[in-house]
Amino acid sequence: MLERGLEEKYYILNLGPQHPSTHGVLRVELQMEGEFIVKADPDIGYGHRGHEHMAENRTYLQFLPNLGRVDYLHALAYNQCYCMAVEKLLELKVPERAEFIRVITCELNRIASHLLWIGAYLLDLGAFTPFLYCFDDRENILDLLDRVTGSRLTYCYYRFGGVPRDVDDDFLAGCKAFARRLRSRYRDYENLVNKNVIFLERTKGIGIITPEQCVKYGLTGPMLRGSGIPYDIRKCEPYSVYPLFDFEIPVGSTGDVYDRYMVRYREMEQSLRIIEQAVDRIPAGPIMAEKVPKRIKPAPGEVYVAVEAARGEFGIYLVSQGETAPYRLKLRVPSFGNLSILPEIAVDTLVADLVAILGSIDVVVPEIDR
Amino acid sequence: MLLNDLTQALGRLNLAKVAPGEYHKSGCHLEVEAAPAQMPEVARVMLEQGCFLESLTAVDFPEHFTLVYHFNHFRELCRTVVHVRVPKEAAAPTISHIYPGANWYEREVYDLFGLTFAGHPDLRRILLPFEADFHPLRKKFAPSETPADA
Repeated sequence: MLERGLEEKYYILNLGPQHPSTHGVLRVELQMEGEFIVKADPDIGYGHRGHEHMAENRTYLQFLPNLGRVDYLHALAYNQCYCMAVEKLLELKVPERAEFIRVITCELNRIASHLLWIGAYLLDLGAFTPFLYCFDDRENILDLLDRVTGSRLTYCYYRFGGVPRDVDDDFLAGCKAFARRLRSRYRDYENLVNKNVIFLERTKGIGIITPEQCVKYGLTGPMLRGSGIPYDIRKCEPYSVYPLFDFEIPVGSTGDVYDRYMVRYREMEQSLRIIEQAVDRIPAGPIMAEKVPKRIKPAPGEVYVAVEAARGEFGIYLVSQGETAPYRLKLRVPSFGNLSILPEIAVDTLVADLVAILGSIDVVVPEIDR
Repeated sequence: MLLNDLTQALGRLNLAKVAPGEYHKSGCHLEVEAAPAQMPEVARVMLEQGCFLESLTAVDFPEHFTLVYHFNHFRELCRTVVHVRVPKEAAAPTISHIYPGANWYEREVYDLFGLTFAGHPDLRRILLPFEADFHPLRKKFAPSETPADA
């Protein structure tokens, strides 16, 4: 709450809720002294749909499509986390081929999410051209995923115990072709963005987050790795078949906006490596566990499962009381924790830099609002 | 090892339960039960050990609320879950002065469950409109109770 008695000295500015740089309906109330921010107060919840309440009022399977609408940019990671949570409660074993398919599609989705972020973020900073390159590349992924999942954005592809449709050789060949294509574009990105003086000036040394702040605010994902902490759930708490693959965790050093950009940029290459290895080694076999109950009714108990989504740790805390619907389902979304640090790092920055900082958090507002 | 350090440090606090969890079943390495008044001490110990607050939420049971805190560590995998039973209509102490990240989580619990946190610096609704007069994740909340359009 801003102090209203200080209107004489301070200027109140509303950033959003319809501002292009907020990427969704997010309002940040800024208390300004000249062009400098004295206090920033994010106001969230414009898109609250009550996903957690819906979970308690429908069957486990009926809730599955909701997950693709929590974070629509990396929907498959959210699908996967929910399926893993239910599979853990049901003690279902997913066949290996299905796990490989999940990893390939999930990583493709991660690249698509990062590409969209890079394009939209540079648009925030005033660079229009990279946006067109990113969306051009991203379109290839959407075509590939459309082929197996049947949708372009709000995927609902995984099921409890596996995946419903198998992938064909054309899809696997398409993944390889995409890897070649994206790699051939790195030179363009390097020239357009990574060496661009305006971009460097606007991102270096801005919005610095220290490792101590990361612990206190529970930051995850590229926000955290930009500050030099190599915490990636795919490595630290391995799930699915990720331990089979050779990949690295890119980290930054100073924790500024530029480091967070570079972490995401370099993560795309690591995802490509995972995809290529998975495509080469995908085993034949069933894609669905054998004994999946028709009525999902897990035994009473509670479970916490986490996956690495494009924006950080997505966790599901599920309490079952043996009914056909969860007793309580909490979605631990990465953007919520990541945005909560904004009031601290926004202080004493210029309003133009706030746009750069806010964009570097990579918030997906519907996921914060849930 | 972090699990041993945590067990030792938390063991000194005289808590109701500090026991290893069944990780393959629940996803947690350490299970802790604490009284509401002990929670700031628990949080302080977790911060000293370098853990971060992964998630904070509540569950509405018929007789009481249970606050569920998940802590984890960036360097060594060790997820600790802390269950805190809070009687209905009672307030829980805030941990937002220890973990600033808990500020929003506690506002969310207040918003959705109506559970208040004593000592919280800014306990406003966060997701629902400020003027809302209900707490939707309470079990007795039924959306159809709102009267039909006059």
